[in-house]
Amino acid sequence: MIVADKKPIEEIIEEIKNHEKILILGCNECVTVCEAGGKKEVGVMASALRMYFLNQGQEVKIDEKTLERQCDHEYLEEIRDVMDQYDAVVSLACGVGVQFMAEKYHTTPIYPGVNTCFLGVTEERGVWTERCQACGECILARTGGICPVSRCAKRLLNGPCGGATKGKCEINKELDCAWQLIIDRLKALGKMDDYEKITPIKDWSTERAGGPRKVVREDVQQ
Amino acid sequence: MVNHPRYIDPVKCTGCGECAMHCPVAAINEINKGLDDRRAAYIEYPQAVPLAYAIDFDACIGCGLCENMCMAKAIKYDDTERETAVKVGSVILSTGSQAYDPSDLDYLGYGKYPNVVTSEGFERILCAGGPYLGHVMRPLDREEPKSIAWLQCIGSRDINRCGNGYCSSVCCMYAIKEAMIAKEHIHADVDCAIFNMDMRTFGKDYEKYFLRARDNEDIRFVKARAHTITEIPETGDLILQYADEAGQMKEEIFSMVVLSVGLKIPDSSVDLARRLRIELNKYNFVNTGSFTPVATSRPGIYTCGVFQGPKDIPGSITEASAAACLAGTDVAEARGEDIEVIEIPEEMDVTKEEPRIGVFVCNCGINIGGIVDVTSVQEYAGTLPYVVFTDQNLFTCSQDTQDKIKEIVIEHKLNRVVVASCTPKTHEGMFMDTLEACGLNKYLFEMANIRNQCSWVHPNNPTAATEKSKDLVRMAVARVATLKSLHEKKIPVNQRALIIGGGVAGMNAALSLADQGFPVTIVEKEEKLGGMANRLTTTIEGADVEIYLEELIQKVTSHPQVEVLPRSLIVNFSGFQGNFTTEILVGPGMYERKIDHGVVILATGAVEYRPKEFLYGQDQRVVTQIELSERLKEKGAQDLNRVVMIQCIGSRNKENPNCSKVCCQSAIKNALHIKKLQPDAQIFILYRDIRTYGFLEDYYTEARKLGVLFFRFNSEDPPVVESSEAGVMVTFKDNILDRSLRVSADLLALSSGMVAEDTEELASIVKLARTEDGYFMEDHVKLKPVDMATEGIFVCGTAHSPKLLPESIAQALAAASRATTYLSKDQLTLSAVTAWVNPELCASCLICVRSCPYGVPVINEDGISEIDEALCHGCGVCAAECPAKAIELNWYEDNQILSKVDALLEGVL
Amino acid sequence: MRLQYPSDIKIIFVPCTGKVDVLHILRAFEKGADGVCVVGCLEGDCHFISGNFRARKRVEQVQKILDTIGIGGERAQMYNLSSGEGPRFAQFAIEMDERIRKLGPNPMKLAKKKAA
Repeated sequence: MIVADKKPIEEIIEEIKNHEKILILGCNECVTVCEAGGKKEVGVMASALRMYFLNQGQEVKIDEKTLERQCDHEYLEEIRDVMDQYDAVVSLACGVGVQFMAEKYHTTPIYPGVNTCFLGVTEERGVWTERCQACGECILARTGGICPVSRCAKRLLNGPCGGATKGKCEINKELDCAWQLIIDRLKALGKMDDYEKITPIKDWSTERAGGPRKVVREDVQQ
Repeated sequence: MVNHPRYIDPVKCTGCGECAMHCPVAAINEINKGLDDRRAAYIEYPQAVPLAYAIDFDACIGCGLCENMCMAKAIKYDDTERETAVKVGSVILSTGSQAYDPSDLDYLGYGKYPNVVTSEGFERILCAGGPYLGHVMRPLDREEPKSIAWLQCIGSRDINRCGNGYCSSVCCMYAIKEAMIAKEHIHADVDCAIFNMDMRTFGKDYEKYFLRARDNEDIRFVKARAHTITEIPETGDLILQYADEAGQMKEEIFSMVVLSVGLKIPDSSVDLARRLRIELNKYNFVNTGSFTPVATSRPGIYTCGVFQGPKDIPGSITEASAAACLAGTDVAEARGEDIEVIEIPEEMDVTKEEPRIGVFVCNCGINIGGIVDVTSVQEYAGTLPYVVFTDQNLFTCSQDTQDKIKEIVIEHKLNRVVVASCTPKTHEGMFMDTLEACGLNKYLFEMANIRNQCSWVHPNNPTAATEKSKDLVRMAVARVATLKSLHEKKIPVNQRALIIGGGVAGMNAALSLADQGFPVTIVEKEEKLGGMANRLTTTIEGADVEIYLEELIQKVTSHPQVEVLPRSLIVNFSGFQGNFTTEILVGPGMYERKIDHGVVILATGAVEYRPKEFLYGQDQRVVTQIELSERLKEKGAQDLNRVVMIQCIGSRNKENPNCSKVCCQSAIKNALHIKKLQPDAQIFILYRDIRTYGFLEDYYTEARKLGVLFFRFNSEDPPVVESSEAGVMVTFKDNILDRSLRVSADLLALSSGMVAEDTEELASIVKLARTEDGYFMEDHVKLKPVDMATEGIFVCGTAHSPKLLPESIAQALAAASRATTYLSKDQLTLSAVTAWVNPELCASCLICVRSCPYGVPVINEDGISEIDEALCHGCGVCAAECPAKAIELNWYEDNQILSKVDALLEGVL
Repeated sequence: MRLQYPSDIKIIFVPCTGKVDVLHILRAFEKGADGVCVVGCLEGDCHFISGNFRARKRVEQVQKILDTIGIGGERAQMYNLSSGEGPRFAQFAIEMDERIRKLGPNPMKLAKKKAA
């Protein structure tokens, strides 16, 4: 899941204070699950903004809407009919949704309502941690299912650096050393042989470093 | 059975009141203690069932006016006595009591001085439906009294004038209550003084009420029994003469005097007992045994309430359930026969209709109408959206109003109803039944509590109370328009009972259920059954506790339906009424058992308080009363020439403000025992109030006769205890001599109170509410004394509050009886107020799964959250937490709650 | 008990404070309420185990929002008492009333008046 965190209301107020008709747009996918941008958060933010502007003596219309997803044309089309009623949208979707909205509704300013953080898991309610950096060439099969690209601070591919102590990373003592985890898991799987294999230099061109990416699949294309 | 003639057919009578309105004859209104009149055609009181008129033939002059007026043709001058015979398996005598009539006590001037009233009369004066409509006035001049005195023990604890040696048990509490309400009703300052020998506030949390009256409400408590009342003819005020504690003659003037009359058995009950060949005691109460508190001398006939002995409402209700238990056990085999099913008309489908709301505003006598302008509230309701009908009633809860509501719902095609009256806690169910009876779904209903939330709490500001009533009605109307029909689910019942605690209460509850054929499991933490009773020797009446306990344990352990798990510990608990599962570690191996059961009875008991006071544990001659009983049994009393007892150890103090109820009688029991063994022994009992309620008073009298010396002390000036070789030196003050006395005692017995067993862990596992002092908190202190708030869980014995063995046994039977109301059914009807998921909106985020305190929601095969309505407790946490707003709680859906918010704040911005 | 308390306090019944949503409280302020208090069971004694803890967190969340937008977080309060504590309810009601009187009306009312 894409993990996002709520933006401070002050920041949003600052962005939209010159608009008069605003739509707060939620997304019923990842941001709902991580409790940052679902229908409930849309309601909370809309209510807070309405009160703020009223208190400022500013007449601002603030409406609420939550789409199933903001990363698909069809769902975004659902609001086409009403878009002309607004002079700005605050999207509580991840950065993907915000941008897709912006592409679709070219003349309406779209502001992000959350900070998109990472691809991660819910450790427990209220705690999320990163697991994947979408490098485009998955090596998890070789690393015992633990990703050194996302979980090692240095993205090392052939074992830990010299800074690891007692299984913890040198940049943060709370953080597990990804390679410690990998080794532990490989041991548990009886696949320590894999550890001995040198991983060739990774092709980073599929990663963000290679510029914006694209996936095309002819088999499913219509 | 004989039915006395009513002269008006109760079936035909509509309760319209035309007969009474036209009746020319005035008669004394007995219910208001003669403070006003009624007609010869009358209804005794507005809550009467059936709510039908009758004719008082002694007063009737036979003019025929009522017969002419009665459109229902219900008048029947030739009505006669009817005899009917009913075949029954058991009988319960619950004929109650009447108040003592103080007319013969000439020194009080009752009947002579109008401003001397009985407590019953004063109760009516306070009552909204009483002679003065709830305004506190004195009978002579209808002036608000400036000062009121209550005289306690009128017709009780009085062998001199009336021969009633017993304590009526209830008068101290009701006198305090009357004083508190008088203070509340009277707008000016009023001096309230209660003249008493002892304040007997021994019930659960009663002492706290007494303290509140004394310390916060400035009610005076005077230790004296007034000997003469004289009227000042010019003013109607009354001079009260009494001797104070030091023996000084005192005089005080009051504008009104209330005689706290005791409870007495009416002659008709004595006759009845004679006809039924039931033994009565010397005061005409039913003779019952220490271990058989509700059984009469004749098998199959049981008793409860005041006919059994003086007691208050919770005690009476408990005993009523206990008597029902035994009566039911006798006829258990026939259970389920002769059942009449109430026919409910088929439900109308109103889902597609636009709301048509009827609003019924209640005056509640003058409870609401005396403060709130009910007519303007009604008129206002008529202006609200979707409201098509409004009405107001004197008592919306009365039977005839229910009938009227039914007619109106049908006539005006109402599909939503709002009642603006009192609290849904007591009346919601009744009104919902009324809706059901007219084919309307009962959840299309809303109450606005304009009594408890308006008239009662804003009595000094009628305008504000009226405006607030309008707000509440507007909110209720807004919500009711959003409500949907809901339907309740039925679930099967597991017939096993789990009883926690194997003391006298737990075992009695177990046996009662087992005897009715229900399987029972007793979980006991100790090796041995019996609990605190293992330490008791005899009751004050002389019944042998040891033999009783032995037999009881024998019966329990040999009963095929009872399973006892000794040395066991409850570690987990889940489920709901009729379907609980408890995990138990069973000793000595501590293996785990999982038991499915339908009900729980809590009987965890209490222990004797271990004193920190008065050298206990430091000087071996200082013992507790239980230790003293044990000692008397083992070693006798030959070496005891002088014994001092100190009351209220570990009770009625800062740490434990409550009274432990049993210690006064323990002290007297032991004092009598010593006197029997060693008549010359000197016994000093140092007390604050002697609380030998009911027939225990006889033992107090006997102890005094035998020369046991009683000295009252104040909590601020407690006795001083020192250890010396000669004896335990106790110094205390004598109020009459007004000086300190010092006694060298061979033994100092501390009347230490009761402490609830440590149930903290159990309470947290089973989710049970407890009082500050660790006793389980029943659902309602007066009306539901054995039910816990969680359905299917009951409490009895000293786990509920300190009490004597017979009372524990009665409560155990009562708990069994309440449990039977669940166990005897094949299925239970569940609440419709449960949560549900809108699958369209659900993001399967698991937040409901994580936040439900009962672990009910699951993500189903379709990847959508699902909530089992049989398991859902209806708290609504999931609905509030759901980030997709996909969950709603029935009857409290978001728009239903917000409709009230919006309606309340309509037009504010 | 018929203990008196200010008539400005109006009660909306919910089965558990755990049912009270942040959105409900915000809505009340948005509609012009001067104060909102959520009254639940004693902590540790929630009839539904933990609903009152959730409610407290939500009230705290509302307080933060109200502070941020200049309405004043103090206007939202959480109180706990047991069902047997009528006097405490009256005391809380009086306390809340006094608190709100000190804070004055919901500032949006003034703003609205000014704007009009």
